[in-house]
Amino acid sequence: MRNGLPGSIVIMAAGVAIVSVASLSIPVQGGQQPPAQQGGAGRGGPGRGGAPAPPAGPAKRLPGGKPDMTGYWAGGPGGLANIRAAITEVGGQPAPQDPASRIPYQPWAAAKAQQNSVNLYEEPELHCFLSGVPSQTYRQFGFQIVQTPDYMLAVNEFMGAVRHIPTDGRPHIPDSIKLFNGDSVGHWEGDTLVVETTNNNDRTWLDNFGNVHSDALVVIERWTPVDANNIQYEATLTDPKAYTAPFKIAGTYRRAQINDPAYEQMEFACVEGNQDIQHYTDVVGGTAKPGPSAAPPGSEAPVPAGGRGGRGGGPPRGGAPPGPPQ
Amino acid sequence: MRNPLIVLALIVAAFGAVLFMPPLTSAGQARGANAQGPAYTPPKTAFGHPDLQGIWQVLDHSAAYNIEPHTAIFGVPAGQGVIVDPPHGMIPYLPGAVAKRQENFRNRLSQDPLNKCYKPGVPRITYMHFPFQILQTPQFVTFVYEYIHNTRTVYLNRKTHLEGLDFWNGDSIGRWEGNTLVVDVADFNDQTWFDASGNYHSEALHVEERYTRSDPDTIMYEVSITDPKVFSRPWKMSMLLYRHKEKNFRILEYECHAYAEDAAKEQSR
Repeated sequence: MRNGLPGSIVIMAAGVAIVSVASLSIPVQGGQQPPAQQGGAGRGGPGRGGAPAPPAGPAKRLPGGKPDMTGYWAGGPGGLANIRAAITEVGGQPAPQDPASRIPYQPWAAAKAQQNSVNLYEEPELHCFLSGVPSQTYRQFGFQIVQTPDYMLAVNEFMGAVRHIPTDGRPHIPDSIKLFNGDSVGHWEGDTLVVETTNNNDRTWLDNFGNVHSDALVVIERWTPVDANNIQYEATLTDPKAYTAPFKIAGTYRRAQINDPAYEQMEFACVEGNQDIQHYTDVVGGTAKPGPSAAPPGSEAPVPAGGRGGRGGGPPRGGAPPGPPQ
Repeated sequence: MRNPLIVLALIVAAFGAVLFMPPLTSAGQARGANAQGPAYTPPKTAFGHPDLQGIWQVLDHSAAYNIEPHTAIFGVPAGQGVIVDPPHGMIPYLPGAVAKRQENFRNRLSQDPLNKCYKPGVPRITYMHFPFQILQTPQFVTFVYEYIHNTRTVYLNRKTHLEGLDFWNGDSIGRWEGNTLVVDVADFNDQTWFDASGNYHSEALHVEERYTRSDPDTIMYEVSITDPKVFSRPWKMSMLLYRHKEKNFRILEYECHAYAEDAAKEQSR
């Protein structure tokens, strides 16, 4: 049993109440890590503050010679609170000083984003949705890369989300298939993994602030390991239905949990303990009347939201505690 | 032991148990996927482990409905079951545990955890109607399932289970025995079922899975179930997992809760 684990579980359970709040920082297991850098990825922080990072050494290599990014990562471009903070280029030019004007929205999309920003209870993550690309990569708690010579998975603890990135040269899936995390295919340009993500649905947000895209979104990411512990990352978002020009976010992912070799991601049960949805209106997917269960009316005793509790007695990990989302 | 009658009774009972307990090795020849051909030698990964990588799925979906032998009913195809031990293919419930199974079956539409879009637990997630993918590294094996993007990490370097925690899909630690990946799964909650017919377990569930390549395109999947709170003895399942060989096949998304929301919205319109 690692020190402090039960405490961190309690903190996790409490923390989920505010997962929608940007720049959330939760102590990692062991409770030793400093608050996260701006923009989230709290729990997967890079290690104790203050101590100088050890020399990273060159990037690890897979059989076949490509960089091996397998491991836990955190940091990145930020942008969870509001993607505008992470935008570095718009239409190929340096991003405007004023963050408010950094997303080149079409009028309808600007209006939709504005509406979302005052109706944050509609936030997709409160429905336990996958986050979509690119925001899946800068969700709190960081992510794990699992890489083989022709495949890469990115597994988040948050929502237990997963991204599949085959690097075997395959084409995209048919356009009529829409996915929360899209269809990603990758190829190597030298030591840079270039990932193109298409087939996105329009149900995810770019951040927790309500910024939107359409189902025409195409994201091109460039993952460049600069050494064993740092990945230079950038993502270019093109969406002719929602934006008038492409824009780019950029940042550096740092290897996380360097000082805790026993660190493991754990199960994240969202639907199993979600009570947020009971506070929604029908219009946004509330379940005050018909629930996701196929139950005929009256045929079941209501399951206490939060689960009936396992051995630990509390709500399942990741389950939302009672209370309105905002 | 002063009363010779009691001693005699105990001896008879012990013999009886031995006589009527089928030997585990020969159990279930008629059922399940346990036809043992000559041992297949699988290819190895670059780091020397038997290679289980690929996208896999069961072909016999009847286990997802009911792992015991069963007649078809509306919406449920008949199946011979996947339990190979005990040889009659039925789960050895404790006498007091049968009623709950029957109650679960009656209320399955509302009470099946899958109808609430909850995590399926192990081993149920293996034989659902959805594919899953295996990726291997020297330190761990990752299972990623299409069904609500469930992901399991089987840790090869950790030798003991986590203490004081419980998980919907349990805690998985693994080891290689020859060409077989043996996965020990514990730390379950009591909320998941084995199938859509209400077969269930308690939080004392302990699962051992064995994954063995049986030819280039199949994995023999054997599961041992122990739960002294619900079953009178350990029991075993066996089935084949088939490789998806379709060109460019990939794991897609089944985000159950999102589609349930959509359906609820449609209904309320």
